[in-house]
Amino acid sequence: MKLMFKYIMKNKLLMTFNIIGLFCFALVELGIPTVVSKIIDDGIAKQDIAYVWWMGLIILVLALAGGAGTVLLCYASSKISTNAARDMRNDIFSKSQTFSHAEYDKFGISSMIIRTTNDVFQLQQFINLVLRTALLTPLMIVASISMTLYTSTSLSMVVGIAIPIMLVAIIVMAAFVKPISERQQMYLDRLNQVSRENLTGVRVIRAFRKEEFEINRFYESNKNFTKETKKIFKLMSLSQPSFVFLLNFAVLGVFIVSSNLISTGSLEVGQMVAFMDYQFHTMFSFMLFALVFSLYPRARVSAGRITELLQEEPSIHNEAVDTEIHSDKAGTLEFDHVSFTYQHTKKPILHDITFSAKRGETVAIIGSTGCGKSTLIQLIPRFYDVTEGSIKIDGVDVRNYDLDTLRNKIGFIPQKTILFSGTIADNMRFGKHDANEEELVQAAKVAQAYDFIMDKPDQFDEMVYEGGTNMSGGQKQRMSIARAVIRNPEIYIFDDSFSALDFKTDAALRAQLKEITTNSIVLIVAQRISSIMDANKIIVLDNGEVVGYGSHAELIQTCPVYLEIAESQLTKEELEKWSK
Amino acid sequence: MEQIRTKKHVFSKLFPFFKPYLVPLISGFILIFFAAVFTAAAPITEGLITTQLTSDAKNIIDNVPGAGVNFEYITYVLFILAGLYIASAACSYAYNFCLTNAIQNAMFDLRNAIEKKLQKLPVSYFDRHAYGDILSRITNDVDALSNALQQSLPQIINAMFVIIFAYTMMFTIHVWMALIALILIPGTFFLARFIIKKSQRLFQAQQDALGNLNGTVQEKYTGFSEIKLYGKQQESIAEFKSANQKVCEHGFKAQFISGLMSPLIAFMTYLIIGSIAVFGAINAINGVMTVGNLQAFIRYIWQIFQPLSQVTQLSSTIQSSVAAATRVAQILNEEDMIEHQTSESLKHAKGNVAFEQVSFGYSPDKVFIHDLTFSAASGQTVAIVGPTGAGKTTIINLLLRFYDVVGGSIKIDGVDIRDVPRSELRSNFGMVLQDTWLFHGTIYDNIKYGKDDATEQEIIEAAKIANVHDFILSLPDGYQTFINEEGTNVSQGEKQLITIARAVLADPSILILDEATSSIDTRLEKKLQKAMQNIMVGRTSFVIAHRLSTIRNADLILVMKDGRIAEKGTHEELLNQKGIYETLYNSQFAEETSVN
Repeated sequence: MKLMFKYIMKNKLLMTFNIIGLFCFALVELGIPTVVSKIIDDGIAKQDIAYVWWMGLIILVLALAGGAGTVLLCYASSKISTNAARDMRNDIFSKSQTFSHAEYDKFGISSMIIRTTNDVFQLQQFINLVLRTALLTPLMIVASISMTLYTSTSLSMVVGIAIPIMLVAIIVMAAFVKPISERQQMYLDRLNQVSRENLTGVRVIRAFRKEEFEINRFYESNKNFTKETKKIFKLMSLSQPSFVFLLNFAVLGVFIVSSNLISTGSLEVGQMVAFMDYQFHTMFSFMLFALVFSLYPRARVSAGRITELLQEEPSIHNEAVDTEIHSDKAGTLEFDHVSFTYQHTKKPILHDITFSAKRGETVAIIGSTGCGKSTLIQLIPRFYDVTEGSIKIDGVDVRNYDLDTLRNKIGFIPQKTILFSGTIADNMRFGKHDANEEELVQAAKVAQAYDFIMDKPDQFDEMVYEGGTNMSGGQKQRMSIARAVIRNPEIYIFDDSFSALDFKTDAALRAQLKEITTNSIVLIVAQRISSIMDANKIIVLDNGEVVGYGSHAELIQTCPVYLEIAESQLTKEELEKWSK
Repeated sequence: MEQIRTKKHVFSKLFPFFKPYLVPLISGFILIFFAAVFTAAAPITEGLITTQLTSDAKNIIDNVPGAGVNFEYITYVLFILAGLYIASAACSYAYNFCLTNAIQNAMFDLRNAIEKKLQKLPVSYFDRHAYGDILSRITNDVDALSNALQQSLPQIINAMFVIIFAYTMMFTIHVWMALIALILIPGTFFLARFIIKKSQRLFQAQQDALGNLNGTVQEKYTGFSEIKLYGKQQESIAEFKSANQKVCEHGFKAQFISGLMSPLIAFMTYLIIGSIAVFGAINAINGVMTVGNLQAFIRYIWQIFQPLSQVTQLSSTIQSSVAAATRVAQILNEEDMIEHQTSESLKHAKGNVAFEQVSFGYSPDKVFIHDLTFSAASGQTVAIVGPTGAGKTTIINLLLRFYDVVGGSIKIDGVDIRDVPRSELRSNFGMVLQDTWLFHGTIYDNIKYGKDDATEQEIIEAAKIANVHDFILSLPDGYQTFINEEGTNVSQGEKQLITIARAVLADPSILILDEATSSIDTRLEKKLQKAMQNIMVGRTSFVIAHRLSTIRNADLILVMKDGRIAEKGTHEELLNQKGIYETLYNSQFAEETSVN
C-alpha cells in the first residue's frame, strides 16, 4: 500500500482532479434521489408544476456536473495509474542496472522480468480501480450517512444493522474462498504441467506407446481441477444474490419502519423514497469496496515483490580510490590468495587461489564441471567481489578502479553469447561506440566473422533479431569475439568460447588472435586439453583449489588430476609423447 | 477437412460438448428467466406500498376522519414482496448451480477430448506448430472459454431478461414515459459501438507497445553481463524509458477511452431520470399517474442501468472468447493420424532392419530423403553421422513411423512397417534422446514408464544396467525422489542415465540412441558411455553418433549429407576411401579421442 501511495502521490494535481471527479459523482448519485423526493413531496403534493420544472432543471445541472465529473475522474484515474506504472517501471529498471551478478542470481532473470512487467501491470489495474471506485466508498458513506441521518434517524438504524451483516458476510465468504481458490490454482498448474509434458515428450510417449497412460494422467488432474472449479464458482455465485437479498430485506425494513413513522406524521413519503435510494447507493458502493478489497491480496503480493527489488542494495559499489598505475606493474594480473563464497551458500567455491600473468602470456584454466573455473574469471571484471584476498590489475586492486575503467580493460567472451537487437554493426560497436568502418572490418576479420557478414544481404547493416535467432551458434560466438576484439583490451578472457566453432574456423581464429594479443594477457577456460596444451601456464582446479600450476609438460608429470583428464581425452601415443 | 472459419463452424464443433448437459443448461436459462421476472415484479409491488402510504399520509394531513396507515394492506403487500425477494434469490442460486455444473462438466469433457486428440494427432502436427501456440490453445484458450461461459453468459442472459421485463413493466405503467426511457437502448448501442471500435485499436496499440517493452526488458535482463562489461547501463536505461513512455501513453489512451463507456451511459441515465421525474410529476399532478408508479418507474430505470453497462463492458470479453473458441475448435478439427487396415503382425521382432529405396519429404513438393538403401542385421549397431540438417533425425522419424515414407519401404524382419499397426511396431523399439524427457513424478515411476507391470526388482536391475543405481541411492529419497520440472535436483547427464534405464526396462529388440552433443563432466561421460554400451548388447541399434568410440565400434557407419547416404561402411573402410568421412573425422574428431 505504501509503495502504491508513494507513486500515486507523485501526481498531486491529477489526484485533486480525481477527488473533484469523485465528489461530482457522489453529488449526482445522491443528489438525484434528493431532488426526486422533493418533486414528490413538494411538487406533486402541492400541485406545483412550476416547482417541478425548476427541479427538472436542477437535475439537468446535476447530471451535467456528474457527467463532467465522471469524465474528469476517468481521465485522472487513467492518467495517474498509467503514470504510476511508468514511474515504477523506470525505477525498477534503473535499479536493476545498478545490480551486480549476485542480485541477478538472487532474483533470477525470469522473476525480474515478471516483476518489471506483470507485477507492475497488476498494480496499475488495481490503482485504477481504487481511484475510480474504492475511494468513492468513504465519500458515499459519509455523504449518505449524513443524508440518511438528516432524513430520519430511526430509518438509519435499518442501514446501521444491514451494513455490519454485509461486512461479516464478505469476510466469511473470503475466508471460504481463499483455500479453495489456492487449491484450484494448484490443480490448474498441475493440469498445465501435464499438457506441457505431453507436448514436449510427444516422441517418447509415442515410442513407448503411453498414449492411454497420458490420457489417464490428464484425466485425473482434470477431474481434480474441475471439482475445485465447480466449488469455487458455486460459492462465488452465492455472493451476488445474497447481497441483493440483503439489500432487499433492508428495503422491507425501511417500509415497515417508515409506515409506522408516516402514521404518526413524522415522515413524508418522498423522504422515504429518497431514503431507499440513498440506501441503495450506499450499499452498492460498499459492494464495490468489497470487490476491490478482495483484489487487494493479489496486488499486495505484486507490490511486495516490487518493493523487495527496489530495496535491494547492490553488493558491488563503484568506489574508485586509487587509479594511479604502478608503472613497474603495468600489464600484469595478479590473484593474491583469493577465496570466494557465494552469499547464499556456506561452502567456498574458490579457496586460496594465487597466480599471476603478464602482458603477452596465455593462462589456461581447466577442471571438471563445478570446480569454480567460471567463477574465477568472473571475479576479474567484478561481477562478484572476492571474499578474501585480492585481485590486482597493473598492481591496483580491482575494487579500487572505477568500474567503467576496469571493465574497459577487459574483453570478456562468455560461454553463452548474447546479442542485442539492432544491426551487426550496432552489436560490434557495443565494444567501442565510436568504432569506424575500418575497425569493424578489422575486428570481424580477426574473429573470422567477416565472410559470413559479407554474405548477408545487408552486410554490416543486417539486422540481428531479438536473441540473435537469425544467426547460427557459431556465428553468434564469432560476433561476440569480434565485439571484444574491437575494444583492443588489455586482458582477454575466453570462457569456453570456441565450443560452437568447427575445427577449421577455430584454428584460423586462434592464429589471428595470437597475432593481435601479443600485448595483452589472455585467460582461457577450457574443457578440452588439446585446446590449451600450448598455453604458457595452466591452472588445474579441483573443488575450488589449485591442484596444479605449470605448463602442460610439467603437469602431466606432477599433477594426478590433470593426468586423469588427459587420459580420458588423449590417445596413448599423444600421452606418451608428453610423458617423456 | 472443412476449415474452421465462421462462427457457425465453431459452434457446430463445440456444441456436442454441451449436448449431454442440455437439461441443466436449459433449466438454468429458465431459472434466469424466473429470477428476472421476480426482480422485475419487485419495484411495482414496492410502488403499491408507496401509493398506499401517499394516500394515507394525505388523508392524515387532510384530517380525514378515521385516517391512518392501512397496516393490514401494507403487511399483506410486504409479505408478497418478501416472497418475491426470496423467490428471486432462490432462482439466482439455482441457476448458478445448474449452469456451473453444466458448463464445468462440458469443459471437463472438452479438455479430455483435446488431450485424446493430442494423442491421436500425427507427430508432424507438433513439428509444424510452435509449441507455445499449442500449449496456449489447450490451457489459456480453454480457460478463457470456461470463464466467459461461466461468468459472462449468465450475466448477459440475465441482463437481457432484466432489461426486457423492466421495459415491459414501464410500458404497462405509462407508454409515453416508457418510450422516453427506451432512448437508452439505441443510445447505449451506438455509444458502445463507437467506443469499442475506437478502443479496440487503442488496446491493440497498447498491446504492441507492451510487447515491445517486454522484449526490451527480456533482452536487457538476459544481457546484463554484457551491459555491465561494456558499460552500457545509461544507454539501456534510456532505451527502456522510451519504450516505457510509449506503453504509458498508449495505456492511458486505451484505459481512458474504454473507461468512458460507463460514465457516458450513466450520464444518459441521469438525463432520462430527470425528464421522467418532471414528466411523471406533471402526470401525477394531473392525476394520470400514482406516486407509487412514478417511484417504481424510476427504480426500473436504475435497474436497467447496471446490466446495460455490464453488457457493454462484457463485449470485449465475448470477442476474445469467440477467438479462443475458434482456436480450440481448430485443434479438434485437425485430421487424425491415418491408421490403415493392417495385414501383418510384428510382435517380437528379431530386429533385421532394411531401408529399401526410401524417399521422403516433410512437404509434398520437396523431396528431402532420396533413395535411401541400407540394411542392418539383428544385433548390429548402425552409427549415423553427418552435419545438422543432413537427415539423421529423419531416419529415426521414419523408423518409428512418426512420419511415413513417400517412396520405397522400410522392412523389419521382412515385413513392411506400414503393414503393422503403429503401436505394435513401436513395441519393438526403445529410445533414448538427447533432450531427456522425464515427467513430473518419482524416479521410480519414470523408469517404470518403460514397462507397466515391472516389479521393483526389475526396475532396480534396469537402473544397475544403466549405471545409475548408485546415484539414485545417493539421493535423500532414493527411488522415490521427485523429478521437478526444471530437473534441478538431477543433472542433465544423470537424467539421460534414467532414460537409459527406462529403455532397458522396455527390453526392445531395436534401440534408438541420440547421443548428447554438449560436453558434460568427464567422469559422468564415462558412466554414460558404459551405460550405452551395456544397453546396446544384443539389440539392433541406431545411433545418431557424436562420440568417436561409438562410431568406431559400429558395424555400419552411414555418412549422411543433404538427405543422401554419402558414404557407408566401417570405420576403417571409410578412412581408406578418403572421402567425406575422412575430412569429417579429421575436423571434428581429431582433437577428441576415445577412452578405448
